[in-house]
Amino acid sequence: MRKIWDIHGGVHPPENKIQSNQKPIGVMPLPDWVSLPLNQHVGAPARPLVKVGDHVKTAQLIADAEGFVSAPVHASLSGKVVAIENRPIPHASGMQAPCIVIESDGEDTWTELQPCENYMDLQAEILLEKVRSAGIAGLGGAGFPTAVKLQPDANKKIDTLILNGTECEPYITADDVLMREQANDIIAGAQLMAKLLDNPRILIGVEDNKPEAIKALTDAAQNTAIEIISFPTKYPSGGEKQLIQILTGKEVKSGTLPSEIGIVLQNVGTAVAAFQAIKDGIPLIERVTTVVGRSLQIQRNVHVRLGTPIQHLLSQHGFDENNCARIIIGGPMMGYTVDSISVPVIKTTNCVLVPSEDEMPTPPPTQPCIRCGHCADACPANLLPQQLYWYSQAQDFEKLQAHHLMDCIECGACSYVCPSAIPLVQYYRASKGAIRQQQIDKQKSDRARLRFEAHKERVEKAEAEKEAKRAARKKAAEEARKKIDLTKSQPAEKSDTAKLDPVAAAMAKAANTKADPADEKAKIERNLESARNRLARFNHQLNDARNENDEARAGKLEPKIKQTELKISELENKLAQMAKT
Amino acid sequence: MSFLRASSPHAHSALTTARVMQWVLLATLPGLAALTVFFGIGSLINIALACIFALLFEAAVLKLRKRNALIYLRDCSALVTAVLLGLALPPYCPWWVVMLGVFFAIVVAKHLFGGLGYNPFNPAMVGYVALLISFPVEMTQWAAPSTLSNASASFPPIVESLTHVFSHDTLDGYTAATPLEVLKLREGLTLDTLYTNEAIFNQARWAGVGWEWVNIGFLIGGIFLLYKRVFTWHAPVAMLATLTLCSFLFYDAGGSQSAGSPLFHLLSGGTMLGAFFILTDPVSSAVSNKGRLIFGGLAGVIIFVIRVWGIYPDAIAFAVLLMNFAAPFIDYYTVPRTYGHNRAHRVTKIKE
Amino acid sequence: MSENTEIQTSTQNNETTVDYKELTLNGLWKNNPALVQLLGLCPLLAVTGSVVNAMGLGLATMLVLMGSNIAVSLIRHAVTDAVRLPAFVMIIASFTTCTELLMQALTYELYQILGIFIPLIVTNCAILGRADAFASRNKVLPSAVDGFMMGLGFMFVLLAIGAIREIIGAGTLFADMQLLFGASAENWKITLFGDNYPGFLIAVLPPGAFLVAGLLIALKNIIDAQIQARAAKLKAKTVKGSKRVRTTGQIA
Repeated sequence: MRKIWDIHGGVHPPENKIQSNQKPIGVMPLPDWVSLPLNQHVGAPARPLVKVGDHVKTAQLIADAEGFVSAPVHASLSGKVVAIENRPIPHASGMQAPCIVIESDGEDTWTELQPCENYMDLQAEILLEKVRSAGIAGLGGAGFPTAVKLQPDANKKIDTLILNGTECEPYITADDVLMREQANDIIAGAQLMAKLLDNPRILIGVEDNKPEAIKALTDAAQNTAIEIISFPTKYPSGGEKQLIQILTGKEVKSGTLPSEIGIVLQNVGTAVAAFQAIKDGIPLIERVTTVVGRSLQIQRNVHVRLGTPIQHLLSQHGFDENNCARIIIGGPMMGYTVDSISVPVIKTTNCVLVPSEDEMPTPPPTQPCIRCGHCADACPANLLPQQLYWYSQAQDFEKLQAHHLMDCIECGACSYVCPSAIPLVQYYRASKGAIRQQQIDKQKSDRARLRFEAHKERVEKAEAEKEAKRAARKKAAEEARKKIDLTKSQPAEKSDTAKLDPVAAAMAKAANTKADPADEKAKIERNLESARNRLARFNHQLNDARNENDEARAGKLEPKIKQTELKISELENKLAQMAKT
Repeated sequence: MSFLRASSPHAHSALTTARVMQWVLLATLPGLAALTVFFGIGSLINIALACIFALLFEAAVLKLRKRNALIYLRDCSALVTAVLLGLALPPYCPWWVVMLGVFFAIVVAKHLFGGLGYNPFNPAMVGYVALLISFPVEMTQWAAPSTLSNASASFPPIVESLTHVFSHDTLDGYTAATPLEVLKLREGLTLDTLYTNEAIFNQARWAGVGWEWVNIGFLIGGIFLLYKRVFTWHAPVAMLATLTLCSFLFYDAGGSQSAGSPLFHLLSGGTMLGAFFILTDPVSSAVSNKGRLIFGGLAGVIIFVIRVWGIYPDAIAFAVLLMNFAAPFIDYYTVPRTYGHNRAHRVTKIKE
Repeated sequence: MSENTEIQTSTQNNETTVDYKELTLNGLWKNNPALVQLLGLCPLLAVTGSVVNAMGLGLATMLVLMGSNIAVSLIRHAVTDAVRLPAFVMIIASFTTCTELLMQALTYELYQILGIFIPLIVTNCAILGRADAFASRNKVLPSAVDGFMMGLGFMFVLLAIGAIREIIGAGTLFADMQLLFGASAENWKITLFGDNYPGFLIAVLPPGAFLVAGLLIALKNIIDAQIQARAAKLKAKTVKGSKRVRTTGQIA
């Protein structure tokens, strides 16, 4: 019996798995259209390879991975591409994102696949490329591109590969039925991944509320070195960091990936998908999704083509819109709500939960925090949620980071137990976003400051150069003037100096020139003219003001008139003086 | 058809604040029963008055703050404060003492600081201390246990109790010193002599007749609350442990300088009420479990110090208030180690 | 009155022409040293146990405030920046000593009761604050008025707190007024609640002073808020057009 450890805290919500794990995985008729978002994974969105109007076949590559951390997208049925535009996507924000929309032609013609029987003989790089080009991403809910995860840094030795069959969230049973029905594929997928990671030991973790799945896996792993480990049911044992702690007792250092301590963790569904991609050549176009909730007539797990709108999925199970309280993508603890049933199923949609009002009533109003500490007892990351809540309300980002807000895995255990029904996780999400935005702003302002300082330096340097040039020119002019003064007594050489130094000569000329009397006179006459016009205008305004008995305006005009009259007399005197000289 | 947009988690456990408060009220019943059996209905009158005044004051302040009184009264927090204050006050004290105490507790100590969840000090204890320093005479007139009273009945009949409470007559025949007071003023007698001489001790089993059963009653209530996981064991156990340790250190084998036996300290005065009901008030205590250990431990030390060398015979209220002062400071230094970090560190220094 | 519509119109020497009405309003209400500036809290909380104590200290403070304001205003042009504050403190200290000696001579029992709080008037930040903020920049008469009004405002608050504390704590009003006003003031004492009033001791102790002061500040804020609300109602209502709704920002 392998030793297992325990996580701190944890809660035991009602499991609600019996609604959907009694039936085998079902199959559904294909939808009329699919909407495939270009970004169904962590990383850069894929780049579309098709245009509107193109005809595509099932499993055809329609969007390629963009960059290292990215995954391609394949058509999940055959038909015509009718749009590549923003469409609703399953996301908590309710925003839209670019999707490729394919209208089905009803035929489901497949493109040519490239199966590979003896895949274990191939080299690791080739296998990795096949996994990558099949668009495999983490099917447990995170959506991390599997090819990237299976390619850790060269200097990291992976000694443990863990397959996550825990499925700790209530209601979700997709992995449970997959483990029961396709245990052999899971084992094969595990061995495949191990080959890519240089053959570490393999552990599969399953909670003890899935006895059939444990048996199926144990039977399938009989002649292998793979260990199937079961441990007591507790939420959130299925989180990556938590499962690693349970199975190995090690903790992933804050801010790093599990590969730092030599562990890679994959969902069982991802293992099956990777196996099918290599052996049968089938890229990721379908997944198992749990469809559950009391507003449905049928609750079960079903194979769903990616991109299927939720509407089609729900209508196949007898959905009663008026009885449904909310639409949750995911489970009740970490799932997010959407408000439109036209959002599609994507790679990370492991469950669609549509509870009725009595199954999941509207939450009660929030009351003040009484600092009871139940949240701290429940937190698997051993944080102090009540302190995080207070500082989140106060927007005190320094204290939040000192209390390690970024280590929160948003599992919802704290909000689950809170007696005052405070939506704690929402506060943390908002604060995390604010902190990230603050960091981005700081980066921007740092860059701007550097740019500004460089600019200032450049400008100063240019100024300094100009100053130097000016000083040099001035010095030269001084010397030239000295020469001119000397040559004044020797006028014959004037032309020579003029030729020698035209700038100096021009400056000398300017210094000697007196103002032209004619120009001066014209200037004074012009000023006089305008002053006289101004005086006439003011007098006119004064008359108007007096006629309207506007004493204030008259009072303001009088000093102006006096000023103008003074100016006129001054100019006339100047003219008279000029006329005399 | 519009669907509700809510944030995860969408499931919720059945625990509510009102339920927690109701369990606390339930847990006071054994101690209250002991008080009634040994001291008459004085405590019941106190609690009844305190509850009425508390609800009135709370409703009035909520209205001033423009909040819906009906919704906010339903979380029973005002009732808990009133009951705790009623249990702490001497039985048969005048009605206006109760009223002023409740006023200080609810209006000044709780709502002036922001209402439920925002008070840095334990409201019941603030009310108690305000009364103690304002009306020293009324607050130190304790009733005698039923077996010791000199008057004709074992304890005052109902009518007389009510008249005493609502007018201002004295209750001479029925008052006596508490065990802690007797110990404090024994003027150098050894413990054995004291126990044989004083009636309040020689009729009791461990720590003073009547009072020991009251404390045992509150201990039962406290264990019930621990079982229901209303609070963790850290603060009460730490306080009782340090109190026991200190009284052990100064026991002096029961000589004339002895400070009292550990059992005496544990089962007299307000020890058990303080440990399980006052100290565990979540709003004003420390936040982490390590912090609660320090919080309770230091409170126990302060209680012992004031009891033995201070001028007041009992010290629960002062010790709790002093530790409420220190709670934020304790919180800074007792942040638990988060998953993925090497060791716990102080929150005053921020490490990225 | 047209030259008094503006509080400060700049003239040549960078000094200001003052509006005495504004000075009064500031000193008594809008910028009250005790309720708004929260200065001089030490004597405020310590000696306001009864009306006579409060009045004694209030008059002493007012005397020092007026005197120091006048003196500082007289020397304001002669003193340089480097020695400004020490010079002001010396002036204030001198006036405080004079006041203390006066009290020692004329009201000896009150002087003994107030004890150290009379010399502590020199540390009252309200006095140094007014000297620096007002008297050093204004002429003598405005400074004197400002000192008088600030001192009066301070004294009113002292009297209010003293009255409340005396009533609640001891059940009397104007007890022991003969310490200030002579033997004829002995019968000014009013006993409000009868002779058996136990006295709410906490009102006489420092915590009670904090509570009463806090409640007075709250009362002032309530009155100010109501005045503002009434003024806002009289103003014409702005036309309501379409407003854009904020969709970003913090979660409340």
